[in-house]
Amino acid sequence: MHRLIILITGLLLASTLAPTLNAAGLQQAEFKNGVKLIVEEDHSAPVAMVQIWLKVGGRDEVPGKTGLAHVFEHMMFKGSKKLAPGEFSKRISAMGGNDNAFTSTDYTAYFETVPASQVNRVLHMEAERFANLKLRDSDFQKEIKVIMEERRMRTEDDPNSRMFEELSAVSLRLHPYRNPVIGWMQDLKRLTIKDVRTFYKKHYIPGSVTVVVVGDVDFRKVRQTVKRTFGRIKQRPVPERFNPVEPESYGPKRINVTLPAQLPLFALTLTMPVWKPGVNDSACAAIAVATQILAGGRSAELTKTLVDRQRKAFSVGAGYDPFGMGLDLWYVYGVLGPKQTPEAFESALWTLMRKMENSPPAEATLAAAKRQMIAAEVFARDSLYLRAKHIGTLETVGIGAAHQDEWLDAIRRVAAADIQHVFKKWIRAERATTGLLLPEQAPEKAPEKKS
Amino acid sequence: MKRGLSTHLTLLLLGYLSFINPAQAVPPIENASMGNGLRILLMEAHAVPMVSMQLVMPAGSRFDPVGKGGTASLLATILTDHTEKHTRETWAMLLDAEAIQLGASASRDGLSLSMTVLKEALPVGINAFSEALLNPGWSRERFALIKENTLSAARKALEEPGIRASEATSRLLFPGHPYGHRPDGNPASLKKILLADLKKLYTNQVRPQGALLAVSGDITMPELLTLLKPLLADWRGAPEQQLFEINRADDVRGITKQIKMQTSQTLSQLARLGPARGDADFFPTFVLNHILGGGGFGSRLMQEVREKRGLVYGIYSYFIPLATSGPFIITLQTRADQAEEAENLVRSVLQELFNGEITRKELADAKANLTGSFAQRMDSNRERVGLMSMIGFYGMPLDYLQVWTQKVEAVTLADIKIAANTYLDPKQWNLLRVGPKVRVKVKGETAP
Repeated sequence: MHRLIILITGLLLASTLAPTLNAAGLQQAEFKNGVKLIVEEDHSAPVAMVQIWLKVGGRDEVPGKTGLAHVFEHMMFKGSKKLAPGEFSKRISAMGGNDNAFTSTDYTAYFETVPASQVNRVLHMEAERFANLKLRDSDFQKEIKVIMEERRMRTEDDPNSRMFEELSAVSLRLHPYRNPVIGWMQDLKRLTIKDVRTFYKKHYIPGSVTVVVVGDVDFRKVRQTVKRTFGRIKQRPVPERFNPVEPESYGPKRINVTLPAQLPLFALTLTMPVWKPGVNDSACAAIAVATQILAGGRSAELTKTLVDRQRKAFSVGAGYDPFGMGLDLWYVYGVLGPKQTPEAFESALWTLMRKMENSPPAEATLAAAKRQMIAAEVFARDSLYLRAKHIGTLETVGIGAAHQDEWLDAIRRVAAADIQHVFKKWIRAERATTGLLLPEQAPEKAPEKKS
Repeated sequence: MKRGLSTHLTLLLLGYLSFINPAQAVPPIENASMGNGLRILLMEAHAVPMVSMQLVMPAGSRFDPVGKGGTASLLATILTDHTEKHTRETWAMLLDAEAIQLGASASRDGLSLSMTVLKEALPVGINAFSEALLNPGWSRERFALIKENTLSAARKALEEPGIRASEATSRLLFPGHPYGHRPDGNPASLKKILLADLKKLYTNQVRPQGALLAVSGDITMPELLTLLKPLLADWRGAPEQQLFEINRADDVRGITKQIKMQTSQTLSQLARLGPARGDADFFPTFVLNHILGGGGFGSRLMQEVREKRGLVYGIYSYFIPLATSGPFIITLQTRADQAEEAENLVRSVLQELFNGEITRKELADAKANLTGSFAQRMDSNRERVGLMSMIGFYGMPLDYLQVWTQKVEAVTLADIKIAANTYLDPKQWNLLRVGPKVRVKVKGETAP
C-alpha cells in the first residue's frame, strides 16, 4: 500500500509500522522469460493466497500522468480476450473466492484468496488477462470517474490525508514518494485510454512479474502451472525503474495547510535509508527499533512523554518502513486537542528527541521493543495475506525474499548506543519538513440535537 | 489503494454478518463452563505458537446511562489502562516486555476484553488478562486524562462524514432506545460521564454468568482451564440486566435528514431496522443482502451505481444483527451534485427486489460464493475468536458453523422474496445525507 494510506491508517493509533517477516521455507523458481515464482507451503487449512506482483507503480509514471499505475490496476478488471468486463471477479466469486488488487509507488499486485483446489484455474485466469487485456475506451471513461470518487473520498474530503499528501510533496524534490499513488486530480482529469495502452505495452511484461503463492499447495504442481501460463508469455525488454538520488536538505522546511477541520494536526517527515541486505542492516534495524521505542506498544515514549506527562497532544505516532525503494519518508505526528498548541507540541517533541540522543534507552525498554517486533512477526504468520504480501514486497522492491530472516537477526543485534546514534544522525530539526493542518474557521459546534 | 471494499466496511462485514460454511472440515468448537458460570469456547490451532482470546459480556453501549453515550467505551479504555496493582506506566511496561497485546472495546450489546499473545508468554498474559478484568485501578487522575483525550478524539472524529452519518442514523432509527447512539459517544455525551458511571456499569454488568470467553490458538482445553481457574474462580455473579432483556425499537419510516459538511462528496446513507441475531428470517435476509449490496462487485448496487455508471468508488449494504433488531444500512459516497441520481438508483434497485425480481441464477451465484468462501473466513486466530464470540454470546448452537452451509443452501427463491417483501420496500427506508448543501430538496431538520 502507498505510504500515505499507512500514514492515515496509523493516524489515531499510536503505532509504528511493525515489520512482518516470514521464517524460512520459501521455494523459488525462475522461468526463461523472466517470470519468478515464490511458494510457501502451509497445509494447516485448505485455502491458498495467490498474488501476482509487478515491478511497476506510481514511480514509473511520467510527469503529468500521476495516478496512471493505479488507473491501470482498475482496468485489469475490465475484460480480456476470454473474459468479459467483471467476469474475472465473478468467476473467483463463484469458486468461493475473493479477489482484489493494490497499487503503491513501488509495485502493483493482484490477489485472490481461494479454496486450494482452485489455484490452478486462478493462475490460468491471471496469465490470460495479463497477456490479453482489452482496454476499451468506454470502460475507461466510467472507471476514471470511479477513481475520481475514490480520490474525493480518501483525500479531498479528509483534511488529515490532504495535509499528509501536501507534506509528502514538499518533503521530497526528486523521489517519487512525493506524488500520491492515486494521482493528482488535475492529472486524473487529463488521462486518456491512449495513456493506459502505452503503459500496458511498456510495463506489463513477464520480466517484471513475481508470482507468490502461500497456502495448501504443492510447489512442483504450482511451478508446472506457472510454466504453462505466465512462463509462455513472450519475453520483452524490462525498462529501468525511476529511482533517483534525493538531494540532502539544506535546512528545515515548513508548510501550513488550511482546510475545513475540527482540530489541528502536526506532523513532520525525515528521509531515512531503506534496508539493503549486507550493506546497511545495522543502521536500518536501529532506525526501526528506535521508531518502535518512540511509537510502539503501550509504553511508547511519545505517548508517555507528550500525551501522558506533558499533555501536548491527545494522540501521537511515528512510522518507518525499511522495505522501500531508494528512501523512506519517516514520520511523526501529534493530533492536538482544543487547548494544545502546535508550538508547544513541536518544542516538546524536539526536547524529547534530544533527550533520546543524550541518554540511552533503559535495558528493559530496548528488550521490550525487540520482543514486540519479533512477536509481530509470529502474529503475522497467522495471516496468509500478510505473509504473501511481505514476500512480494521484498522481492519487488529489490531486497529479495530470500533475505527475509536476516532482518530479525539485525533487530536482535541493535544496542542502546545504536538507538542514540539514530537520534544523533538522522532525527534532526534541520533535516525535517514540518506540516501543520490548521482548521479553516472556528470549528463547527458538534451537531447535537435532542433525540 | 485497494480496488474494492474499504477496510472499515470489510471489518464490519466480517465482524457482524458472515460466516459461511463449507464442505471443508470445520474445526470443532470445544465447550467448557467454570463453576462461576463463565462459558468457554475453544478452537485449537497449533500451526503458529500464539493464542488469541476474547471475553464478551453484556455491558456494551446500550447499558450507557441515558445521555451519557460512551460510558461502556470509556470503561473498556480504563480497564486496560492501569490496574489496582499497577500504575499506567508499570502496567504498560509489564505488557510490552512480554509482547502482550491487550485490548478492549464496546459495541452495542457487548463489552469485549481481548488478548493476543505468544504461546511462551501465555501464563503471564492470562495473569494480566484477569488482572485487567478483576482488579480495576479506577485512578481519578487517569480517568480525567482519558476523558479529556477521548473528548478531543470525538471532536476530531467529526471531520469524518462516516462518523457523522453513523451517529445520526443511530438517533434516527432508535429514538429513546438503548441503541440510539454510537458506542463511542459524542462530545456532548462524553462530557457528562463520571468515574462513578464507569464503576456502576462495571459492578452491574461485568459478571461471569452470561459472559463468554472465546479462545483460538496453540493450546488445549485442559491447559487453558488450568491457567484460568485459579485466577477467575473468585469472579462471581450475574449481570443486573440480561442480554436479551431489550425491546425492539419502533419502526421509523420514510424520513429524510441532512447534516451539513464542507465536503466535495455527499455521503448518502439509507437506513431501516433489520433482523435480530436469532430471527427466523436471518438466513434468507443474509443471502438477500448478499445479492443487494453485501456481495462486493457481484451485488446489484455495485453493478448499477459503480460498474454501469461510475458514480461511486464503493456502495455497500449490511445489517447488524443484535439481541434485537439492529440497523440495516445502505451507504455510498459520490460527488455532491450526483447524490440524488445515485439515491434514485438505490431506490429502483430496492423496488425491483421488493417486487420479487430475483432470478434463480442470482440466488445460486450468491449461495456458491457464500458457501465456497467459508474456509477463508476462519483462517486466522482472530477471525475464529470473533466467530466463537458471536456464537457463544448470542447463544447460537455449537454446531452453528457445521450447519451453516446447509442453512444457506436451504434458502429458497420464495424465502428470499418474502425477506425482500419484509425489508426492501423503498418507501420504508430513511435517508440521511452528510455533505454540502446543493440543489437537492431536503425534508426535515438541518443540523448546524
